[in-house]
Amino acid sequence: MLDLLRILKDRAVKALHSVETSAELAQWQNTYLGRQDGELTKILRGLKDVPATERKTIGQRANEIKNELEEQAELRKKTIEERELISALIAERIDVTLPARTLNSGYMHPISQTIYEICGIFQKLGFHIIEGPEVETDYYNFQALNIPQDHPARDMQDTFWVEPGQILLRTQTSPNQIRIMEQTKPPVRAVVPGKVYRNEATDATHEAMFHQIEGLAVDSSTTMRDLRGALEAFARELFGPHTKTRFRPSYFPFTEPSAEVDVTCNVCGGKGCRVCKFSGWVEIGGSGMVHPQVLRNVQYDPAIYRGYAFGVGVERIAMMRYGINEIRLFSQNDLRFLRQF
Amino acid sequence: MKVPYHWLKEYVSFDSGPEELAEKFTMAGLEVESVEHVWDSIITARINHLEPVKGSSHLNATKIFTGNGRELSVVCGAPNIKEGDIVPLALPGAQFFNDAGETLTIQVTKKMGALSEGMLCSPRELGLSSDHEGIYILPADTPLGVSLADAVIHLDIKAHRGDLFSIVGIARETAALFGSQLRQPEIKLSEKGKTSIKKMAALTVDAEDICPRFTARVIRNIKMGKSPLWLAQRLALAGMRSINIIVDITNYVMLELGQPLHAFDYDKVANHHLIVRRAEPGETLCTLDGAMRELTPDMVLVCDEAGPLSVAGVMGGASSEISSETTQILLEAASWNPVNIRKTSTKLGLRSEASSRYEKGVDPELALQGLNRAAQLMAELADGEIVPGYLESYSQPAPNITIPFHASACEWLLGYSVTPEEAAAALRSLEFAVEQNSDDGSMLVTVPSWRGDVLESADLVEEIARELGYDRITGKYPTGDAPEPQTTSWFDIQYQFRRRLQQCGCAEIVTYPLTNQRSTLQLLTDESDIAQLLVGAIDELAPAENDKKAGGKAKQKKQSAKHISEMDEQTIPPLDPGALPAVRLVNAVSAKMDMLRITLMNAMLETISANLRYGNTSLRLFEIGRRYIALPNSAQRLPDERRTLCVGLTGYIENWAEPRREYDFFDMKAIIENIAEGLHVANLRFTQTQSPIFHPGRCALLEIEDGGAKETRYQTIGVMGEVHPIIAERFGVTQRTYLCEIDLTRLYLHNTSPRFQSISRFPALTRDIAVVADISVPAQAIADVIRSSGGDLTRSVTLFDIYTGDQIPNGKRSLAFTVEYQSQERNLSDSDGDFLREQATHELKKQLNAVVRE
Repeated sequence: MLDLLRILKDRAVKALHSVETSAELAQWQNTYLGRQDGELTKILRGLKDVPATERKTIGQRANEIKNELEEQAELRKKTIEERELISALIAERIDVTLPARTLNSGYMHPISQTIYEICGIFQKLGFHIIEGPEVETDYYNFQALNIPQDHPARDMQDTFWVEPGQILLRTQTSPNQIRIMEQTKPPVRAVVPGKVYRNEATDATHEAMFHQIEGLAVDSSTTMRDLRGALEAFARELFGPHTKTRFRPSYFPFTEPSAEVDVTCNVCGGKGCRVCKFSGWVEIGGSGMVHPQVLRNVQYDPAIYRGYAFGVGVERIAMMRYGINEIRLFSQNDLRFLRQF
Repeated sequence: MKVPYHWLKEYVSFDSGPEELAEKFTMAGLEVESVEHVWDSIITARINHLEPVKGSSHLNATKIFTGNGRELSVVCGAPNIKEGDIVPLALPGAQFFNDAGETLTIQVTKKMGALSEGMLCSPRELGLSSDHEGIYILPADTPLGVSLADAVIHLDIKAHRGDLFSIVGIARETAALFGSQLRQPEIKLSEKGKTSIKKMAALTVDAEDICPRFTARVIRNIKMGKSPLWLAQRLALAGMRSINIIVDITNYVMLELGQPLHAFDYDKVANHHLIVRRAEPGETLCTLDGAMRELTPDMVLVCDEAGPLSVAGVMGGASSEISSETTQILLEAASWNPVNIRKTSTKLGLRSEASSRYEKGVDPELALQGLNRAAQLMAELADGEIVPGYLESYSQPAPNITIPFHASACEWLLGYSVTPEEAAAALRSLEFAVEQNSDDGSMLVTVPSWRGDVLESADLVEEIARELGYDRITGKYPTGDAPEPQTTSWFDIQYQFRRRLQQCGCAEIVTYPLTNQRSTLQLLTDESDIAQLLVGAIDELAPAENDKKAGGKAKQKKQSAKHISEMDEQTIPPLDPGALPAVRLVNAVSAKMDMLRITLMNAMLETISANLRYGNTSLRLFEIGRRYIALPNSAQRLPDERRTLCVGLTGYIENWAEPRREYDFFDMKAIIENIAEGLHVANLRFTQTQSPIFHPGRCALLEIEDGGAKETRYQTIGVMGEVHPIIAERFGVTQRTYLCEIDLTRLYLHNTSPRFQSISRFPALTRDIAVVADISVPAQAIADVIRSSGGDLTRSVTLFDIYTGDQIPNGKRSLAFTVEYQSQERNLSDSDGDFLREQATHELKKQLNAVVRE
């Protein structure tokens, strides 16, 4: 009987080695350990014919073999399951180069991005960000800025009129210098982004509506060196740390002294190219010390207060930064354009 | 202003080439547009020998002597040349522009077998005049081999510097820049004869307010003819054509000194009496350009006793024009009121070299100088005899401005210190007179008569800064007093909105706020329905009483958000149903852009349409901008500029992984709810409505609870829906398109800060409830009833299925919700769940006559 058990065990172990799948394992378990017709069960059923003295030994041995086989079957099962999982996963292989699912990406208009970037720089320097009306009075847009009726500077800015001589579409963001100073006492530091309008023919670099950012700082100690410092910080932040800034004398009715602001061309790095007309410099805006007449117009005493103002064109800066050569792209709103920013 | 380099050098010495000079100008505030090199490779040469080219009827072969010992062969077809003539010769490499604007380069060629090593030039080819009849024959004493090469610096002179519209004016700046001396042209007058001008001519000025100074001279026995090369050349370089010697001299002196002049034919002036007066109503004048001008009494004329001779400071008349028969000249040099000239010139649509100078102001002191200079040249170049004396009316001498100044004003504005000596030297170099007080460093500065732009100390600081160089203004980190930090601004708020919309997959567009009425009204199926264009911006239907109640919470909000004071909502009175409350332009360039928008929707549809044409078929777009609503008495009041959001959606979601699906109403709704969530706006609701812009069954008002009062009230903040197909098609859009327009000022009023709610420790209990109700019962109403029936215990009500068809009666539908209940205090049991479901069933039946399916 013990021999029978030994033979059975050997056979079962051998058979187990050739078991490859979960189904075969179940089959094997049924064949050798099944409760009804399992071979071991069959042997144990014959135990009743064995003399009582041997019965105990054989019974013990049979149980040992049963445990042993079950143990081995369990090991085999793990191996098989692992292997089966792996092949199941392999079957689920995907092509990772397939396109992604749609997660709509949105885009902020390059003009908005440029405005936020520029204003953000000045925000860090303690400037408030203020927006004013686009439909303005002649007083704020011209007179208070030292541009009286019939001043030739009015020619420089062809105006859209709503009420001739009274109400107009602002030609510059500068009227907000007056609005801000009328509403607050010094110290003042503010930037004003917004749309401005010029009654002009449009071409690759001119639009009848475009965006400007006005800057104003007035207190008892601010000089033109602070203006230059602020604009240098701005230019470095926007165009890169190696950007240089230069001042050229200029004329604006509401600043005195006035300066045109140039930065080194960021296309050629100042060596000269078509963008900068081979000068190495690109003009980004106008600036100057607030004209004493403007200060008097808002009841600031020019003997006590001084400060600067500047204005930059947003489209121009965006065109420089992104290498855009046609201003009308900004208002065309072609998705193929918008998507690039 | 075109500044010929060699002409400039006549009045000032400096040792820079044209490019270097241009750079100096740039840094001194004279804006350089370009530096142009002209007449390179053109020299003077003599025709030594002339013979016909064999086989040609008109070509001549010439031997040309160039002055440096070399003889060249040039073939020329012009009929007017002969041996011994001195002519301008273009050598190989010289460039010309032909009539088509193309560049022609002179090359060595063979013409009909004859060698040609250059080209002889006509006056037109040199740009001197329109004369193309023959070669420009130079005076016999012209030196040979002289290069005509020159450079022209193109300057953009700003209007306040009228004094710089002259070569001498530029020379004065140049002298200051190089620390050298200005050499004014020397004026030597030799008057001839005994008859004084007083006996030959008279002057009456009846408009002294407009004519500060008027001077005149008579020049007799002039010899008409063409100008010498140097004069024609200078005019050409400065951008003017040579006409005849007399006209050329007046133009030359204008360019040289900045004083416009006018030469009348003395014999055509009735009684030789010049009268300066305002035009009479109905008067006309035929100007030199041949146009008949209608004059108005605000214009000033120079007349004779018979009538108008010229429009003062703008243009002369044809009747007294100089002609080839002219022998006597009545020469005028005057100064005029700039504003009057500007108005006249604008009104007549007539700008001349003279008017553009007078508009900027011509120094009255210059008049006599210019008059004498021109008389001198007429004597020298046209054999004229200058009649002794001149006529003058000088009613308004140039003001003599003195400014008390202290060098510390420089440091005050520029930020670096300037010594009194430096300041005085800088000012003197520009011919300001400076009287220094050595005790306290103060000075008294007298402004030269031509610098009308310098009025006060700050103006002097700029002059000093320019002379010292703006490079001395070195940057420093701004250290002045800063204002208190700003609290939330609209700028920041709009940034949040833009970010949110970007996160929702929308691309921002920026359109022109300028539009037109037609495009705007295209949005409406019924044009009288204009209030529909302003839904959300105005309470067009709200009676006054309603307004008060609704305003309760809004007002509180406004106070708490007081720092955002820029452009708060104004109260817009009821609309006139016939008229768009639009801001209109009186001088629009294009009828397409003659008013400001009152809605962003038409521009959005136009943008969608354009993108569809570009081939962008699926679009999620937004714009944040203003609409401009005209208020009553708009002549005195600025319009209400409302911050507005417009979203546009069209096309489909297309992806290899999912079936293609068209965007629908609920995609738009998702975007709006997302924005509201970003502001923690509570109680935003969508109410079914109808609008002539939208699909009659697919349009919703956006309303926010505006409570506080006992009765719940809602404020409309916007509208959304599927665009009516008829409207869409008007804009060229043929696919389903969704629009939403929201008043951001109103929406933002309802923003709240999030309040934390504790998270329950106890598990949630879920019940599914399928409700059969009339199709007309809004899903939101059913969800609301279910929610409120569970009281505090309702955590969420989520729709998961809609069903119509078998087993559901006609006109009804089944909506299936998953409801989650949860308590903060205890475990909910199954019987709690059953009870809550009972409650919901009961309330649905009672409130909505809806039945819960078991």
